[in-house]
Order: sequence, then C-alpha cells, then structure tokens
Amino acid sequence: MRWGDIKASFRDFWNEFKRVKFGIVGLILLFAFIIILLVEPYITPFPDASSRWRDITYWQDNPNSVPPIWINWFSSKKRAPSTTLKGHDFSEKQVGKMKIIETIFTYNYAYDLPPVDIIFHGKIKGSSTIMLSLERPDGSKVDLVRKSISTGDRGNVRVSIDKNSKIKAYNFGSRYDTPENRARLTRDIAEPTKILFAKAKKGILINPEPLKGAYKIKATIILPNENSAIDNLHLSISGRVSGLLGTDNSKRDIWSGVIAGMKWAFLIGLLTAVVSVSVGVVYGVMSAYLGGWKDSLMQRIFEIFVSVPLLPVLIVMSAVFKPNIWILIGMMSCFFWVGPVKTVRSMGLQIKEETYIEASRAVGASSGRIIFKHMVPLLIPYAFASMALYVPNAIVYEATISLLGLGDATIVTWGQILHDALTGGAVINGLWWWVIPPGIAIALMGMTFAFIGFAMDTILHPKLRTR
Amino acid sequence: MLVKKGMLIVMYWRYCVKRILYGIMIYVILIFIFSTLFNAKMEETASAQIEEEIHAEVMNLNRMKPEELIHYIAQRRKYKEHIYHLDKPIQERILWRAFDTLTFNFGKSTIIKSSAGERDVWTIVAECVPRTILLFSVAIAIDVILGLLLGLKKAQKAGGMMDKGTSVATMVVYGMPSWWLGMLMIMFFSYTVRIFPSGGLHSAPPPTGIAYYADILHHMGLPVLTLVIIGFWGRAYLTRNIVLSTLQEDYIMSARARGIPERKVLYGHTMRTAAPPIVTMALLALLASVGGNIVFEGIFSWPGMGNLYWIALEQNDVPVLIGNLSVTTALYIGGLVTLDLIYGWLDPRIKVGGRR
Repeated sequence: MRWGDIKASFRDFWNEFKRVKFGIVGLILLFAFIIILLVEPYITPFPDASSRWRDITYWQDNPNSVPPIWINWFSSKKRAPSTTLKGHDFSEKQVGKMKIIETIFTYNYAYDLPPVDIIFHGKIKGSSTIMLSLERPDGSKVDLVRKSISTGDRGNVRVSIDKNSKIKAYNFGSRYDTPENRARLTRDIAEPTKILFAKAKKGILINPEPLKGAYKIKATIILPNENSAIDNLHLSISGRVSGLLGTDNSKRDIWSGVIAGMKWAFLIGLLTAVVSVSVGVVYGVMSAYLGGWKDSLMQRIFEIFVSVPLLPVLIVMSAVFKPNIWILIGMMSCFFWVGPVKTVRSMGLQIKEETYIEASRAVGASSGRIIFKHMVPLLIPYAFASMALYVPNAIVYEATISLLGLGDATIVTWGQILHDALTGGAVINGLWWWVIPPGIAIALMGMTFAFIGFAMDTILHPKLRTR
Repeated sequence: MLVKKGMLIVMYWRYCVKRILYGIMIYVILIFIFSTLFNAKMEETASAQIEEEIHAEVMNLNRMKPEELIHYIAQRRKYKEHIYHLDKPIQERILWRAFDTLTFNFGKSTIIKSSAGERDVWTIVAECVPRTILLFSVAIAIDVILGLLLGLKKAQKAGGMMDKGTSVATMVVYGMPSWWLGMLMIMFFSYTVRIFPSGGLHSAPPPTGIAYYADILHHMGLPVLTLVIIGFWGRAYLTRNIVLSTLQEDYIMSARARGIPERKVLYGHTMRTAAPPIVTMALLALLASVGGNIVFEGIFSWPGMGNLYWIALEQNDVPVLIGNLSVTTALYIGGLVTLDLIYGWLDPRIKVGGRR
C-alpha cells in the first residue's frame, strides 16, 4: 500500500464515519478528554495531586469528608467553603532586640454553617511566639492562641484553631450560656469554630445561631532576635464544603484526584489496547497464512489462553507479584491479545486466497513480507475498531484490580479512589461525592471509546462481509 | 441426506469425548503453569505453616531436655518437609504441587474457615461454588429473557427510534464497571430508600421454612437487578444483530412472499435458525461474568467465590486464593466445553465436520 492509497482510503472512511452520529459524539468527547489532559495543571487546585496523593501533609489543610461547593445551591443552609486569606495592614516594630510583627486577616462570614477549622501558616526561621486573636462583628474579642514555636531553618509553621483554641473558645461560649447547657457540651467535644462564629446569647454551645459579618483575625508574631525571619503568612479556612467534588476522609480533593487519574486511565487503556490488538492481529494473520502444523500449533496455544478466566488470574497474579502499573499493563496485554485472533484468522484465510497474494508468492516474496506488507494493512481498519473497544475493557480491569487494593501505590487511578471510598465507608455513610465521580469518569471514558469503536464497527461490518 | 441419523449421533458422541478430553488437557496445562508461577509463594506459606505446627507440638511437650528438644524439632521439621515435598529439587516440587492441585488437594488455609469451622481449602471453596452459580445464573436468565424480547423488538423496527436509543444505551454501559453500579445501588436502595438489604446471603439469624427462601430472594434482588441493568442492553444488541442477519436470508423472504404472518416468520422461521447463536450468547455471558465480573459479589457481601477472593486478599490467605483460582479455572473450562457441546448439538454442521 502506498501513502496515497492510505490517504484516499482514510478519506473514504472519514466520509462514512461523519454520518454516524454517535461516532461524532465519541470523537467530541475524546477531544474534550484530551483538552482536559493538556490543561490539567491549570484546572486542579492541587497540581501535585498525582505525585503526592498519599502524602498526608500535602492535604492537611483540607477539611475531612465534606461535600462539594455547589451543594450550597441546592440547600437552604449555606456552608462555608474552603478558601485562603492573605493578611493586610502589615506592621513591623522593633523593640530592643525583639521584632514584633502584626497583621490582620479579614474573613467575611456570610454562611449558616461555620468552617471546620482555621489554620495559620507561615514560614518562620528560628524561634518565635505566635498570638492569634479574633475580633467578632459584634465587637467582642477572643484570644485564640498563644504559642511559642521553635523551628529550624525556614520551617513551616502551622497553627490550627481547632486544636489549639478549644478551651478558649469554650470559655468564651460559656460566658453566655446556661449551666445546664455547659454541662451538656463538655470541653472535649466542643468545636471551636461553631462557638466562635455564633451569636453571643443563650444556646451558643448547644444550638449556635450563625453571626454573619466581617471577622478580623489578628496575628502577632514576636521574633526574639535578628536571626529570625518570617514570610509567606496566610490563613487557610477549612470549609464545610470544599472543591468541585468535595474531599475524602483523608482530606484529599477528589476533583484533583479524578483529573490526575485521567492520564493513567488513558495510558492503561490505550497502551494495553494497542499492544494486545497488534499482537493479536499479527498472530491471527500468521496463523492463517502459515497454515499446516504451524497453524494447528498456534491455534492450540491460542485455545490455552482463551481458557483462562482472566480477572481471577489477574487478581492472583497481582496479589502474588505486586506489580507496578507497567507490569500490570504487560500482564493484561498477555491475556487480551487473544480477543481479535479468531476474527482475524478467518479474515486472513480469505485474504490468503486472493490472486495478488499468490502472485507475490510466485515472484518469490518472503512470508514476512507478504504478511506485513500485503495482509496486515488490510486489517488495519478492523484493528482500530477493536482497539477502541478494548480501551474500556483495559480500564475496567485495572480499576477492578485497584478496587481490590492491588493497584500501584505510586500513582492515583480511578479504581484506587473507589477502593479508598469502599474501605472508607463512603457507601455506608452516603458520601456520594466520593463514589459517583470516579465511576462516572470510568463510565464516560468507556462510553467515549465505545461510541468510536461501535461507529467504526458499523462502517466496517458490511465491508468485511463482501471482502 | 448423506449421513444416517444413527451415524450422526455416533459422530456427535465421538466429538463430545474428544472435546471433553481436550478440555481436561487444557486444564492440566494451565494448572502446571499456575504451579510454576505461584510455587515460590506457596512454599513460603507452607514453610510458615510447618513452623506453626511444630511450635504447637512443642508447646504440648514439657518434660524434655533442651538438646533433646532441638533434636526433636529438627526431626519433626524434616518429617513435615518430606510430607510437603519441600526436600525435593524444584522441578519435582512443582510437579507435586500441580499433582496436588489436580487432585483437589489444596492444603489448609492460613486463617479463613468454612462455615463448619474447617480449614481445608477445598471445603471452603466448595461451599462458595453453588452460591456463585445461583446468583449469576439467575441474573443471566433474567438478562437473556429481557435481552431477547428487546432484541426482537429492535430487529423488527431496525433503525427506528427505539432501536437507536437502546443501542446508545448499550454503548453507555459498555465501559461501566458493574461493581460501581452496585455501590450506587446499595447507596440508594439500602440506605436512602430502604427497600433491599445491603448485602449477605440471608438475614441473621436466618428465618426457617419457606421464609428462608423468600429471604434469600430478597437478598439476591439488588445484585441481580444490578447485573441485569448492566447486562441486558448488550444481550439485546447481539440478539438484534443475529436476528437481523437471519431476516435477510432468502427463505425468510420466501416465507413472507408466501403470505405467512410476520409473527410466525419471526418466532417460527427466524428463531429456529437464530437459536444456536443466542444460546451460545447466553452461556458466553455467564462465562464472561465468571471471567470478568466475579469480584462484584464482594460489594454485596454475597458469600460466593468472588467474595472469597476479597476475603483471601484481606487476610492474605494464599492457599485459599490459589485454590479458589484453580476451582474457578476448572469451572470456566467446564463452561467452555459445555458451550461447545451444546452448540454442536444444536448445529449439525459441527457434528459432521468436526470442530472446524
């Protein structure tokens, strides 16, 4: 086949493909996936999600198991979302050897449910004392934290209100509430943010009503000597809702995870499909062309592979050998290649009888030349159609292996997110934002390739019969 | 007719015997491959089990001098290693392992126990087999009946709205993992709308009498529903294609030309020819479930073989894992052989001409 022929046949194919509506839908979806893949770093709030998925420090400022932001549109009680605040009114005073730095963070609270936690961040060199105080919209002031911290060179300082201000917030609340209520909510189970963002009146501990308005959090940092330095001050608000798809019980952002899993799904699906279909097509054609005892032997080997229950074998192999993703792809390809063999062989047997094959054999072409130059190219359209239909299979198999907890722990795949969801009790506790998105992603990508594959199949099918 | 009927039956039986022997041969080969692949891991487990047994024996002996004890332990270890064939060279060990597996002698589990409390792997696996077969065959039966009805409707009005719509549905569920749909179904039907139980074979404690079977059906409802929702579109699509290609045959046209009512053409003439591929499709669907869907049971805690994979992985119970794999493989190959036998019985060309 010359290049011109290929171009012409491709154009014919495209003209027919255009007429299959779902095929076009599939192509559009595929392009959408590819675009998301390319802009991945710009659309995820956590660009390192892929490499640091299991690093708990990377996710520590997120709230735990909270729903996505957009559920606020559907519920009457508005929940505070996660954000980051930058300080303003920065001031620096030198008192003797000491340096006193002050900054104010303003948080406009206009929700019904307060954030889970407020976390102060800074990069501080040397030792320091950090004081945080809160000025509420009603004018009352609460001292939240007073903490001495000594870090090494440029250590990250992280002060959580939820952990450090329990007692102070509780004491603030109990000034307004009755002794009975104080007895009902003990200090240990009090949630500081719930008290701090509530109206100062009876019931603040038990049944807090939100106090909306601007909250000012003043941070005072005392640096004892000149060697100390500070920068990058900011305040993380861990909301009751977070991100486009919420968070899981390890505080990970599910949107980032789903987007990060996409490239692996593409890789697993495409690589497995391409390798296994290529091997299968060549194997089938060789078997058909060579004939005789070679054909019989190849068919026997094929039948052994067909008789393997694929998923159970992959599960046991993964459990015993603990493969990484590349080996897993190799293992899947080892068993997937049998798929196209039967069809390809019967097609090959027909092609073999064509006169031009006979002619080239008469001229003295080698078997390899006839197989690769004259027979395999005719099967390329069929090969592409089956590749498209194998992509979803490979993705589902990998997801199933991961669901059982046998996935490659250095990457993040959709199946692994679902494994975590299952073991983290997402189904029982109704954390739908953790279960639905990864599955939708698998199903959607499967659907995309199924659309394309079925569309190619409907075009190729009448042709195959007449050939 | 060239061949007499009696001759045909003899040929069919000869074909059956050949096919069964061939299936057994493939099973033996696969077990050898598995034994080679997993031998190292199995031996690791076996050695650990030997140490455990010796430790238990030593705990029961108290009046023994230290040097005697060391001698005793060494002796026992040697004896047990001999029993497990661990003192042989590697080729021989693999042969023994394959032989043990082929005779369904899978050894003892490390942690998992059967419902009677036994630790024999074969007993543990054997009590799971009927449950898996029950769940999947019920699901596939419903699946195929619905798929057949829908497929016939699709073929009758091929290219119509319903045909196109259901074909798109086939593609939509094509890459959807059944276990994920199962998770959603449990979330919805067991926790939001509490219609079905969230898993298990029956309630604890199980009711007696007729209520026991009703209870099992109730527990089977959700997994079966999930499998049917995922599966029957594909079945309908295949039925449509098979029926549609039969409808283009000349004898259908001649039947129509003779004025035979369309219903009779469809159910009488077409179905007779389309039956063998459709039966094959049903059995293939069942086998595909075993090959690709089996862990789905784990989501519903349905205590079958798929669930046993989950438990064996959680407990890191290697003998159960590999025993389960051997039984699954045997069932799978058994299914493939049955498929060929049924197909050969339905399609006389195969009886005469051999397999190809």
